[in-house]
Amino acid sequence: MPGMPTDGGGGGGAIVPFRGEPDQGTPSPPAVRPIRHGVAPPIFRVYISWSSGNLLQVACLRPPNSEGRGRSEEVAGSVVEVNLSCGGSGGAEVEEEIDEAEMRRIEYGSVPAFALLQSRKNALADAAAMSRLSSVPDYADWWQYVLEYSKAVGNLLGSPDSPLAFMIEDPKTILKVREKPTNLKAAWELLEIFYVDKQLQSWLPERLVDWLADFDSLLSGTESTVYSKLSNFQKKLINLQIIEDDPDYWNGLSAALSVGWLDIVVNMLRFHGSYQLDQMDNRETENGLVEAVAVLVSTMPRLRPNLPTGKLGQCCKTRPDFVKAWEKWRGQVTKLECSAFWIQCGHQKTRDGLKTLLHIMMGNIKELTASTSHWLELFASHFLYIRPFTVGFEGMHHLAQKCIQLKPSSGTNGLTGLVIGVLSENPEVVLAECTKNFGPWLVTHAMELLTADNDYADTMLHEERPNLGGISIDELHRLVYAQVLCSHSLTWQIAPTYLSSCLNQGLGLLEILLLKQPIQDNRLVLKTLEICRLYELDDVSTNIMKIAGIYHWKHGRKGAGVYWFQQAHDKVRLDRIAQQLFERIGKSVTDDSFKQWEGLLELLGPDIGSAGGLEFLHRYRDFKKSLQQALDGRSGEAARQTADFLIQLMRNPSTPQRFWLPLLHDSVELLNCKPRPLINVAETTLLLNKLQELSLAKLRPDFSNNHLPSHALSSVRLALASNLARAILEDP
Amino acid sequence: MADSPLFRRHPLASSVDLVRWLPSSTASPSGRLLAAAVHDPSLGSAGSSIHLFPLSDTTSPLASLPLPSRATALRSSPAALAAATSSGSLHLLPSSFECDAAVAVPGGAGFHVGPVRGLDCGGEEWVTAGEDGRVHVVGGGGDGRVVARRVWDGKGMSGYEAARWASPAEFATGGAGCGVQWWDRRKGDGVVAQCSGIWGRGIVTGMVHSIDINPSRKHICVVGGSSGTIFAWDLRWPQQPIPLSGVGLNGTTEPVCESEVWEVLFDPYTQSSDIITSASSKILPVMMCSEDGILAVVEQDERPLELLAEACAINSFDIDPQNPSDVVCALEWESIGVLSRGRDTMAEDDNC
Repeated sequence: MPGMPTDGGGGGGAIVPFRGEPDQGTPSPPAVRPIRHGVAPPIFRVYISWSSGNLLQVACLRPPNSEGRGRSEEVAGSVVEVNLSCGGSGGAEVEEEIDEAEMRRIEYGSVPAFALLQSRKNALADAAAMSRLSSVPDYADWWQYVLEYSKAVGNLLGSPDSPLAFMIEDPKTILKVREKPTNLKAAWELLEIFYVDKQLQSWLPERLVDWLADFDSLLSGTESTVYSKLSNFQKKLINLQIIEDDPDYWNGLSAALSVGWLDIVVNMLRFHGSYQLDQMDNRETENGLVEAVAVLVSTMPRLRPNLPTGKLGQCCKTRPDFVKAWEKWRGQVTKLECSAFWIQCGHQKTRDGLKTLLHIMMGNIKELTASTSHWLELFASHFLYIRPFTVGFEGMHHLAQKCIQLKPSSGTNGLTGLVIGVLSENPEVVLAECTKNFGPWLVTHAMELLTADNDYADTMLHEERPNLGGISIDELHRLVYAQVLCSHSLTWQIAPTYLSSCLNQGLGLLEILLLKQPIQDNRLVLKTLEICRLYELDDVSTNIMKIAGIYHWKHGRKGAGVYWFQQAHDKVRLDRIAQQLFERIGKSVTDDSFKQWEGLLELLGPDIGSAGGLEFLHRYRDFKKSLQQALDGRSGEAARQTADFLIQLMRNPSTPQRFWLPLLHDSVELLNCKPRPLINVAETTLLLNKLQELSLAKLRPDFSNNHLPSHALSSVRLALASNLARAILEDP
Repeated sequence: MADSPLFRRHPLASSVDLVRWLPSSTASPSGRLLAAAVHDPSLGSAGSSIHLFPLSDTTSPLASLPLPSRATALRSSPAALAAATSSGSLHLLPSSFECDAAVAVPGGAGFHVGPVRGLDCGGEEWVTAGEDGRVHVVGGGGDGRVVARRVWDGKGMSGYEAARWASPAEFATGGAGCGVQWWDRRKGDGVVAQCSGIWGRGIVTGMVHSIDINPSRKHICVVGGSSGTIFAWDLRWPQQPIPLSGVGLNGTTEPVCESEVWEVLFDPYTQSSDIITSASSKILPVMMCSEDGILAVVEQDERPLELLAEACAINSFDIDPQNPSDVVCALEWESIGVLSRGRDTMAEDDNC
């Protein structure tokens, strides 16, 4: 993309002024990056192209031959790389929360789970296509595969239940110290709860309550939540003398109870001053009431199969069981509320606080609304105390709307948006919220959750859309994620897993990705080639080998260059290399430089046939070696053998014509060898014929000059003639 | 995804190219030490270094030696830890592991140009063999400095990828296309024997990535390279390399892997299946790691024993010389793995 620079008005640095698109309302100011290219103006031409990842290559060139002025040291042009990696696009929220290395760990870890699910999907599709029978039993289990996948990926995101490290817990700790939950994990679990896990459907409300218990701290950073109330109270706790006099104590208790954190409520109730031994006697009734409430809280019936250790309540697996237990429990709560003991309780705040707790348990909507902060908390409290049998998205959505009206929250949070999207049964909204708030990783991997058992979402995401260039939304997001992976030099290797699952455009992009990889390092080239092998991209791998070969050849590592050309079976380039080598050798006939290319000949191995034009070099090396010996030792035997090599070389049709004269010129001394001529009449005639042919060829335009002295031809001719004369005399 | 109790992964948050056990003769209080060559591309040229850390805590290095470019070779000897880089320099860290005391031979025209992948310690001296075709012997100059002496300059006509000492006078090198070469310093620092190897998938020449020589049988090299090829080369029969694994090679059982074999080491822990004859001709068991994530023990005429099959490449591994049941490996996905073989190590492992 060549672009013409502006005059620059003296600045010299600005190349192209940026103007906002006229049809966009208010264009955001463009990011300006100064580039230190070190090329003095005037700049004639600028080339911009993408390098790997986020690197942009900018080449600045000066006009060619612009009045050289003899200043050869001035740079004629330079290429600079600009890294554009700063500044997050989508998923900025995620990036703030999880550092890059941690995000890469998640990206790596999710590859095996993703690949396994894809291969299972393909296997099922194949089986269905093969049998054409109803593969219903297989498909009925599909959600279990997805659940397995979802659990595997979820584990990567951190397990909020595991304590950070082994530590002695302070009995006055309200909130357990745990790994900090992340938005990504919260979103993933939410999708799993609603879209994948079928076993959960009968106790979905309870599952939501659990989810809120894990991730309540994420709901809002600025506004108050149950979690923030409790953690604030925790800070205050250490300085409190009489705990039950503090209104925050009772507020915290009712808040925790309203969202069903029963273990925390019971634990906090035990902080009550009436439990202290010195006060037991005169606060007996008060203590009895506190304890009675604590017992009621800890025996609250819950419509769920089991409870994690440490959590309180009595589980009821079936609805009739639950209804029975619920009525009994409610009866106890009401009985305590109407009890006469309240009059004997002297502590006003305790009396009011405990009554509030009882009202919450009785499902008093006013108390619930007052004690919760966020609409999701109110939503959860409805499930616990007012409508434990809520089923179906419609009812939930209606309830959610009501809660939002009661507790409007100013800031929108990705998680709440996600919940509303899910409840409104609107996969488009869910997808949009994921894309906006959680980044491409989540979107790509969550697609499988959305479509696990939802035909509408399945069609919506997999339908090929002309406005997206014929690809589906699913594929689009995978491609986007793959691009993100490609932009980092450590994660690009996992991008092929995602690209290969994109049927329409994935393979094309994969080929481009592989061809763009750096080829400077042999190990990296081999890693790239391995990916080519896995995806059977033989053409691409051949191209990469050729590119690597040229790179190494250009940088003087001739051995490595030849190695890659041989691997690529690139006869054309091997022949070209042979020509280049001939040129070198032709230039320096007399020096012992062939020691340099001897290593190369060794490298080519005995199977020289695969090396194309290099075959000649083997023979030439033998000739040179022998000639050296003949000239050094002047032994008759070596000279005789050298002459044989010479004749063989000149007879062989594969000997390039341009080498005829140098060969003969090398042998002048040999020809003049005394006392007997080494070459007989027939052989000399052959050499003379070749020389004649050479003289004719000299007139052709493609004749190449051998950098030999101008008298070379005549000295060879003279030597041959005198040799011929002597040979005739010798000839019997 | 659940790991077996015998294999643990430790994420390192940057690319791990090479990993080695360090000799624990110094009896460090924190247990066994590891050295890893790490590379973080986001930090540019400052992103390459050698980290030394105890096995029990991989997140906080005890020492860190910055390198000018990405490490290409790493070896430890009782006296020093040596690392070579892709810019052709060599760095020696004395066994006290004080990074200030490290000495370096800078890369460039006087030493190596480009990556140096062949590096080994033979007693007092180190041999380096680079992709530029040069071979150097680096030793102490007597006054605390190091002196590099050029043994050979191939002028780029051949490129070396591996080097290994056999005895103080002999070493072996290997590379792209040139197969394995045996050097004898008593014979004018030259190549005395050469073997192009025996390669799978019908290719004539492959690339040698790693060579190991068993200290008890110094005439036998085991070589790992392209296309899952592992072969042994016995100097007594230099024209007949013995195939151990490879794609489509006669004489081997099924290939243990089909991709690049990055590293090979004789495995002292695995007992040879045939003890009676092993003294004579059979090649001792060899451990290998590969680009397709295999860590396995290969033996002549035996089915390979697969120890790990990872989803990502295993770039490097090392067998603990003091406790050969323990193997550490560098995984492509920015982590190292520690494998403990045998039951008796389990209890010990749980403590760390």
